[in-house]
Parts: sequence; structure tokens; C-alpha cells
Amino acid sequence: MNEWVRVASVDEVVEGEAFASERKGEAIALYREGDDIYAIGDVCPHETVRLSEGWLENGLIECPLHQSCFEIRTGKVIEGGAAYEDVACYEVKVEGGSVYVGEGRRP
Amino acid sequence: MPQSKQDKNIERSWPKEGVIRVPAWIYSDPDIYARELETFHYGDTWNYVGLDCEIEPGGYKRSWVGERPVLVTRTEDGEIHVMENRCAHRGAMLCWKNSGKAKDITCPYHHWAYNLGGDLMGLPFLRGAGGKGGMPRDFDKSKHGLTKLRVARRGGSIWATYSDDVPPLDDYLGPEILERLDRLVSRRPLRLVGYSRQIVDSNWKLYWENSRDPYHATLMHPFLSTFGILRTDGDYDSVPLQEGRHEYTFSRYNPELRNSTSEASRQIKSIRSDLEMRDKEVVNSVVDEFQDGMMGAFQVFPTILVQQYFNCLVIRHIILKGPGKHELTWTYFGYADDDEQVRELRLKQSNLVGPAGFVSLEDSEMLALMQPVVESRPDAEQVIEMGGHGTEAQSTMMTENLIRAFYDFYRREMGL
Repeated sequence: MNEWVRVASVDEVVEGEAFASERKGEAIALYREGDDIYAIGDVCPHETVRLSEGWLENGLIECPLHQSCFEIRTGKVIEGGAAYEDVACYEVKVEGGSVYVGEGRRP
Repeated sequence: MPQSKQDKNIERSWPKEGVIRVPAWIYSDPDIYARELETFHYGDTWNYVGLDCEIEPGGYKRSWVGERPVLVTRTEDGEIHVMENRCAHRGAMLCWKNSGKAKDITCPYHHWAYNLGGDLMGLPFLRGAGGKGGMPRDFDKSKHGLTKLRVARRGGSIWATYSDDVPPLDDYLGPEILERLDRLVSRRPLRLVGYSRQIVDSNWKLYWENSRDPYHATLMHPFLSTFGILRTDGDYDSVPLQEGRHEYTFSRYNPELRNSTSEASRQIKSIRSDLEMRDKEVVNSVVDEFQDGMMGAFQVFPTILVQQYFNCLVIRHIILKGPGKHELTWTYFGYADDDEQVRELRLKQSNLVGPAGFVSLEDSEMLALMQPVVESRPDAEQVIEMGGHGTEAQSTMMTENLIRAFYDFYRREMGL
């Protein structure tokens, strides 16, 4: 059963910045592109660090430690870096000014 | 005024007698030592770094080229890489575990991370933190990988070089070494048996000469003579190769001779004729796996002595640690398809050699006693005349022809 959890208010997620949050103990980050909001896992599979502290550019979040890059829309890792596993991708819905995310899954 | 240990007033020129004399200053002079590293280990040579059976795909082992620590890695596709075990950032040692598996190599100092091919994958805070600091925008990670060495393989053996000019490995080794190396490492997949490691408190050349000196072995290692492994009266070849660079010594195992005592052996007072070995498997060819009745050793300059005593196969790797010190790593190996009996024999016979081997007084003990004495008289000369003055091959143990052949080569390369 997909359980929706409130993780942010919609105003907190702004374009060009990662918004770090949590869903039932799992670190996640929210990203905005226009009207769309995406949620992906926020811990780099290479070393344990939050990706949201890294560099956001061209739809990719770059890990602050070793520059592994992940697609903010899908959580998919870009091959050739230090990390070789994807992070989870979460379903997102916006209701009444709040952002909710469902169960995470690998792309 | 205190007198320095290294008396600079000694003339650094080779004795006029040639290679039948070796000047003692070459065993302690730091300038000579530095030149040896540049000329040999970091120059136009192939350095042994390990065996393929020591590293699984996605794994690594530590090794050394000259004094420099290196990593020998094997990527998942099976390819072997050799790179300096030195972070490209500030020079920290990356890895001090002897072997293992790893997804990547991360420096403990600033966490720069490299893949098993030695390429820099990333570094923390490349973009700074909170918008401050970080590397310049034009910092190019692809230019800051680990220093890679050229790699060559022959059978299960792995070699590395800093040189772009050294001949291909097969030419460097030459046909005689290739034949003997292939006999041990190229016919069947290898299996690691184990290691011994010891620090030897002497100049590396004393050890290098020692394994070119069959003369001492009958006398200083009475175990070998007492139990018939070394015979003063058997067939024994001492053959210099590639203008003295490498060499091999081989003897033919003769079970007939083993049961007699030669006149020469009777003259060696350290040999005890009243001793008998209870477990003769240690000193006998129980399984003649090479079907040629041969045993012996060969040196590949400047790093290894490869030795086969019956079923004991071992590579002695000489790792330099300064003018008066080196490390000796003994890698015992066998074959992946060894049966139980042969596995047991290899272990048992490995007791013959190594730092706690049955050889009686061990070479490194003698050399450690010798080094300070040699250092105390850098102006003295060693006498290398056993077996005459020549450098050609001989069929006897009572010769120092291989030492003379080595110094013939050494003088040419070092310009001494």
C-alpha cells in the first residue's frame, strides 16, 4: 500500500536549490523544475553524505564529496563516477499547499 | 673534529684489478645508492611486482618498485594495473593493507577517490562549501590521476616499469630466463601458498651477491649439505645471462649421489654424518612434477630470485629501504590444480628456506653482521677470485663467476 507522507510545504521547494527532508527516516531531497516537483534519495551510495549539499546544475545533483551525478527526475546515476548505484525515486503529489511523497523505488 | 662515517676522501674509482675486487664503499655510499635507484629500478628495467594469483578481479595487492610503494590492481574486466601508492594530491600513502578487495581507492587524508585503474574520480568540496572555497573552475580531474607504470605479464608473473625505452619484457628476460620462468609460472594457473617477510639490515647488493654465490651454501648452510640437497660433487651450472644482468644456477637431482658422501663433503667440518632426517619428504623429490629432475634458481635483475627446491616454489623479492637495509618478501606458490599430497608437500618443503628455514645460519643474519663491518672500512676491497678471474659460465659450485659477471654489468651501467 502506497502511504503518502507530508515532507514539505510547497513554498519551501524552489527552483535551483535542493530541499532536504525526510520520509519515515529515509533522507530525501526535493527539487523543483517549473511546476513540477521531484523527490529522490539523498544519501550518496558511494560514501554516506547528503547529495543535497552538493551542486545542482542541468537537472543533475552532484555529490559534494566525489562528484558522482544523479538525475533529479529519476535518481539515476551518471556512469563513470565514484558511485555506480542509483538512488531511489519517489512519487510526489501536491495537495493543499503541502508536498507528499509515496514509497521510494529504484528507477 | 668528528670524522664522518662516509669518508669523502676515499677515491670513488673501481680498483685497477677489475671485477675480481669490489670496493666496499659501494655498500654504504648514499650517492651510489641514489644512482642505483635512478639507473636501475626507476630506469630501463622491468621490476617484478607480484603474481596474478595474489589478486582477484576487483582486488589489489601492495608492492614496491625500488623504494616506491605501488598498488597492483585488477579491474573487474581482468586487466592488471600498476600505479604508485601515493595520492596525487599531497603524496599520502593510499593503502597499507597488503591485499584485499576494493571498489575504489580513497585517500585517508582528504578523501580523494580513484578507481582501480588509477583515475581520479572525485574529491570532496571541489565546488567549495556554502559557495566559498573549492578548486578553481579549470581544475581538470583527468590530469590528476595516480602515477601509472607500464605493465607486462608473462604466465602468472606481473612486471612494471617507469621506462618508455626498456625493451619488451620477453627481450629483457632473454630466452634462458623465459624458459625457466615459463617452467614455473606459465604452464598451469598459479595458486598462492603463503608469504614470509623479513627486514635484512644490509645493503641490497650483499643479498644479490649472496644468491649468486653457491660457494657459501655448502659451508654456511650445513643442513643442505648434510641432507644431500646441495652436492659439492654433483652437476651444477652457474650461468651468467644478458651480459651479467641475470643468471641461473641449476643442479640435476641424482638419487644415487644422495646415498654417498663425497670427499669434498668430508672436508666440510660443519657437515654431520651422524644425523638422519626422520621425515625424508622434506629433502626429497617425492613428486617429480617438472619431469626433468632439475632444481635450482635464477635471478631477474634488479628485483627477484626465483627458486625451486623439489616442490617448494618461491620468489624472493628484494625491496630497497635505504643504503643499509632492504626487505625480503618470500612468495610461496603452487598450482590451482595441486592435489592434497602436493599441497601438503609444498607446505612441508617450504620449511627448507625463508627467515626461519632449515638452511641453518640464514643469509640475512650473516649479512646483518657483515654490513656494519663493511661500512667501517669503505676503503677496503673484497676479493672475488674463487673460480678464477673470468665471468663466463662454469659447471661447479666452487666459483664466484656470477658475482664477477654482475659487477661487470654493474660497472658498465653505473659508469664506475
